[in-house]
Amino acid sequence: MSHGHSNPIEHPEVQMASRGSYLTGFIIASLLMLAATILVSGQVLAPFPLLLTIMGCAGLAAIAQIYFLLHIDISEHNIWNTVALVMFIPLFVITIGLTWWMFSQLYLRTMPMIPGMPGMH
Amino acid sequence: MLVNVPGPWSPLLGRLALSEIPYTNPILAPLFVVIVLAGIALVAAITYYGKWGYLWKEWFTTVDHKKLGVMYIILGLVMLFRGFIDGLMMRTQQMLAVGPGDNGMKAMGAIHGYLTPFHFGQIYSAHGLIMILLAATPLLVGIMNIIVPLQIGARDMAYPYLNALGLWITAAAVFLIMISLFVGDFSHNGWFGYAPIFELAYSPGVGVDYWIWTLELVALGTTLGSINFLATVVKMRAPGMTWSRLPIFTWSAVSANIIALTSFPCLQVALALVGADRYLGTHFFTAGFGGNLMLYTNLFWLWGHPEVYFVILPAFGMISEIIPAFSEKPIFGYTAMVLATFAIAGVSWIVWLHHFFTMGMGPYVSTEFSIATMLVGIPTGVKVFNWAATMYKGRLTFSAAMLWAIGALFLLLIGGLTGMMLSIPAVNYMVHNSVFVVAHFHMMLLCIVYAVFGAVIFWFPKVFGFKLNEAWGKIMFWLFSAGTFLVFFPMFMLGFMGETRRLDWPFDPHWAVWFDVQEIGIVVYVLSVLAFLWMIYVSIRDRAHHRVGADAWGTSRSLEWLTDSPVPFYNYAMVPHINARDEAAWRREHGFSQSRPDHFAAIHMPNNTGVAVYIGALTFVIGFGLTWRIWWLTVAALILTVLIMIYRSGKGDPGYVISAEEMEKLDRESRQNMSDGQQHLPKGGGYTGGTVTAYSAAASDQRPQGTPPGNSRPLS
Repeated sequence: MSHGHSNPIEHPEVQMASRGSYLTGFIIASLLMLAATILVSGQVLAPFPLLLTIMGCAGLAAIAQIYFLLHIDISEHNIWNTVALVMFIPLFVITIGLTWWMFSQLYLRTMPMIPGMPGMH
Repeated sequence: MLVNVPGPWSPLLGRLALSEIPYTNPILAPLFVVIVLAGIALVAAITYYGKWGYLWKEWFTTVDHKKLGVMYIILGLVMLFRGFIDGLMMRTQQMLAVGPGDNGMKAMGAIHGYLTPFHFGQIYSAHGLIMILLAATPLLVGIMNIIVPLQIGARDMAYPYLNALGLWITAAAVFLIMISLFVGDFSHNGWFGYAPIFELAYSPGVGVDYWIWTLELVALGTTLGSINFLATVVKMRAPGMTWSRLPIFTWSAVSANIIALTSFPCLQVALALVGADRYLGTHFFTAGFGGNLMLYTNLFWLWGHPEVYFVILPAFGMISEIIPAFSEKPIFGYTAMVLATFAIAGVSWIVWLHHFFTMGMGPYVSTEFSIATMLVGIPTGVKVFNWAATMYKGRLTFSAAMLWAIGALFLLLIGGLTGMMLSIPAVNYMVHNSVFVVAHFHMMLLCIVYAVFGAVIFWFPKVFGFKLNEAWGKIMFWLFSAGTFLVFFPMFMLGFMGETRRLDWPFDPHWAVWFDVQEIGIVVYVLSVLAFLWMIYVSIRDRAHHRVGADAWGTSRSLEWLTDSPVPFYNYAMVPHINARDEAAWRREHGFSQSRPDHFAAIHMPNNTGVAVYIGALTFVIGFGLTWRIWWLTVAALILTVLIMIYRSGKGDPGYVISAEEMEKLDRESRQNMSDGQQHLPKGGGYTGGTVTAYSAAASDQRPQGTPPGNSRPLS
């Protein structure tokens, strides 16, 4: 191996990992998933607010996983994680944004409106 | 169980029953007997010659990137053959079934042709899945596996054990799709699947489940591999190997693996949701209960289009290595080439909708994706012009590898231009789901296959120490090209004549003559397969006469041609210092190509491990258990996998150290071995016979060690 024989435990990526953050991330993500499941299975809200709420849950869960499980942030000692984050943002906008646009245009033409959704006729 | 599966189910065997084995099928039953007999013969031969220990120690448990790459390539070639047989069966079916009325073979239970529609559906689904994910992907990953660490001067991949794990998980996917031939059946709804036909209500059998878990496993294996490649190139480059000196093939591997890493999770999510629909009774992709059919298509192609470029970009990289070597010029426009590679990779994320232009989302969305798709033509055009400019005024040698590379350019041209046609939504509405589209993407995938064959011929001497037979390589090239022409040009025409894809019964008698032409093309393809096998046989038989030195072609350019051929397990006795972009050419031109390290240092190498094989086998069991809904087996295999992973993580791998003295001895032996194989050769060297080309910085004081191919063009 061309890299040294240094102890992998001393690498900054490994140093950043802690049992606490993994557990926190896991618990937050699980609670958000549970909340979304209860909301959907109990049909607590009208369809459109429900859609927005579970989307919000999914977004929070994604952020929690990125921060607590993957340790991706913008700190300086972790340059490759920052690169990954910079890469993630345009991809997120492209995949979710273009999908949203595409399906909203499709629904305008093909679907009956979802109850509670503003701006649809 | 959360959903009620039709048919019997038992806790012990799940849905598995003796009746699921198609022993009455007149095609599969004899095939099964042949395969079992061949398998017994193979096992008997290995046992007789006592090679089990050798196979286990040297190959199955290896973490050496070259051996893993060779196994990836063998896996890919075997699956390429399987996929080709599927193609042969489809072409034969359409040739026999064409025309009106009842022309089927009653003995086979077919009304048209010799296959039932259900069987035909499984064949085209398996053909597509196998060719893209289990043939092209392993072939490319295998070549990247061998070449990328060598090109950057690394001893191995960043994570050797993860590399082995990727191979064995991919192998598990291969076994899963192969076993679907003889146990149960395979999916019949196309390689990419359609909602809602893959829902349990419409596809009650196990075919779709086989399809889901095969795709999930190969996606897992490829994702692991892409992490490894990126870490390797970022962290393991030799001193002096700056980003601006990285060989083009390594650049293409970087771009391809960025795409793979970002897109394969989409596939895994899409299929996990299909799995949730089929196993848990959710409704993500049904029309009722708030599901959306097109969401599946969207999620799938969100991965699918980047995947297409994941397989084409390394092929471009291979062409970019072969053409300069046989033009005796550096690649034209290195920076433009790298930028074009990344432009293609970047655009690959914003074009996926062109796979379903006819969904009905209106003109604005279509326009955006149409323009984005057309943008791909710009960097691809840059690449083609760069390759042409590399050849311009070069000293061209039309060796077998070069022929494959140039052939790939012609296919790229045809595939690219038809792709530009298809990027116009209006055209797309006319030919959507016709065989015109099928012909288009076969041009692109065959461009990859051409590049792969070129790369195999080009790098074979580096890995094995002797060249493949040039004459048979060329014969295979011309047969393969004739087959390509005869099969796919009629397919373009049939597309315009209105033939939709996946027809088990092409009803229009006007198509008949073109099906006959295509069948002739398939026969020519069969000849090219035989020529390939003969090429391998002849080359191994005559290997003593085709031994090569470090620089196998005499005109090679990048770093991997500096180390011995065959590459020793440690790659480089001392990690080389990189002085120039084309290091091998630079050293040749400055007279350093014969220089050896003057001192040696101890090196640290990873140990072999059987853990990757065990985990690969267990992932196969998980896939099989999930397919047949044998819950105890799935859970047991999953728990065992996790336990093995925890055990391996706790143990780690200290590796072993080879001392400096030992390295010196190994290096001397490797060098001696290489020059022994050269004693019978005249010291001619290269195609130029050691002359100084217009592009040499200086004359070489040492003649290069390359040997000309058997029947190269005489120098004028």
